[in-house]
Amino acid sequence: MKSENKKLIGIWGYPEPDILEKIKNKYPENKIIDLDINYNNPSSGILPDAYCRITKNMIDNSFAMKENLEVIIASVGREKCDSGWFAAKILKDEGFNVIETRYEDYNGKICATPVCKSNLALKEKINLIMDNIIQKQNIKLVETKPEFGFWGVPPNDFNFLDIFPETTHVYGWTRCVEAGRPADIDLEMYVDENIPTVFFAQTFCAKMQLAKYLAKKHNGIYVDVDDVASNSVKAKIEAFIKLR
Amino acid sequence: MTKLYADAGTTWTKILEIYEEEKDIQKSSLLQINNLNNYFVPENGNKYYSREEKLFTGRTFIMPTKIFSFADIKLDGATGHMTGQKLKPEGIYQNEVVSLAYGAQKRVKNLENSTIIDIGSRDVKWVKFENNQYKDLDWNGSCGSATGATIEMLCGFYGVNPENLAPEREKIPVTCGVFAMEKIMDNIASGIPPEIAVARYIHGIAYNAWIFSKKPEKVYLSGGLCRNKCFIESLKLYCEAIPLGRFMLIEGLY
Repeated sequence: MKSENKKLIGIWGYPEPDILEKIKNKYPENKIIDLDINYNNPSSGILPDAYCRITKNMIDNSFAMKENLEVIIASVGREKCDSGWFAAKILKDEGFNVIETRYEDYNGKICATPVCKSNLALKEKINLIMDNIIQKQNIKLVETKPEFGFWGVPPNDFNFLDIFPETTHVYGWTRCVEAGRPADIDLEMYVDENIPTVFFAQTFCAKMQLAKYLAKKHNGIYVDVDDVASNSVKAKIEAFIKLR
Repeated sequence: MTKLYADAGTTWTKILEIYEEEKDIQKSSLLQINNLNNYFVPENGNKYYSREEKLFTGRTFIMPTKIFSFADIKLDGATGHMTGQKLKPEGIYQNEVVSLAYGAQKRVKNLENSTIIDIGSRDVKWVKFENNQYKDLDWNGSCGSATGATIEMLCGFYGVNPENLAPEREKIPVTCGVFAMEKIMDNIASGIPPEIAVARYIHGIAYNAWIFSKKPEKVYLSGGLCRNKCFIESLKLYCEAIPLGRFMLIEGLY
């Protein structure tokens, strides 16, 4: 990513849509890049070793792409987390052009969630939901009857999502994103009672608290993954899917 | 023709070979292994049943994984993370937790409200059943490292025969393996015999496995620690414990 010379607008979380639109119009030639994603950039050494991998991505990507990053639109409200807020402060302090946004008020608006319920592979569902924040895609979707559920945020390691069948519905924060309500905790905690669900959180993320609690409450399974999913995590998910 | 199934763990590999006639084993690919009979373990007798209750004749072996790894063997079914490229093209790999669950369902006809725990060389995995149906599971694949292999190393280091260890009421916490080692050394430095320090450590592993598996009332135990009386008696301080032997995961393969 560093070698590309195109000027960039960095984002993380779910930036307030009006502000994102304004910045897109201000920098029409710039490419928008999601700094939450792991592009295998070198460690900046800013954060502790034992810390949320997604936040490390945000910081490490920013430093690796510093020359091209004209602006970062940083989600710092409840739609992201305190780590997003702290990261924004650190990057400002390091000379980045950071615009903080909070997206917590939706005026009663709630969007449908066809991607979460579609027959796309789980990885594609999550990618599409996140891509839609930047630019809405028009894709014809087929709804499936849910056989399994995935609750959580887009993980650092997308590879373990291949274990899930296409009949997996998406819940948690990722569904809140598609619903256009990323800070709606009640929606985030809602799952379909009878669907066997894997409750995922990034290791060291505060959402581990919710994931573990909800897994117990709904007879699901809790997994947390730091960098990449270990064989035992993958085997647990496989076994959960197979034995149910 | 014989059929070969293996559960290849970090330290030990368990092998089941099933066949229809005695003459079949004369052509077994296992014969290339030096001193094969030294690894023969008649733990389950020689009668084996598939999940469809079809009867087979078979024989079982337990050998160091490093010996298994170098043998040119092709498997019909495998579990464990050391099976490498040994599967036949039509062979089936099944992960350890699924194998454990299927093995338990096959071996224990009534799994009403019980948990099966497998303690390997470096991990702990368990599956809970309610009314014979899967209910819950977990696999501690990294922080459960203070398990079977560590006991073997400790016994070797201190010259302790694990068969002679008596259970201890006191336990050494093993949540962190490094701190547990420090405690063992502290015990021994303060004049406590190694047999007692190691038994306390084994008690700590039993307690840790029980807590990790969510405090079950009844446990079926799988893995090498089935042969460790000190471990089983320590586990019985917390729950009913029934050892099933070392071939549970293989039982789940066919």
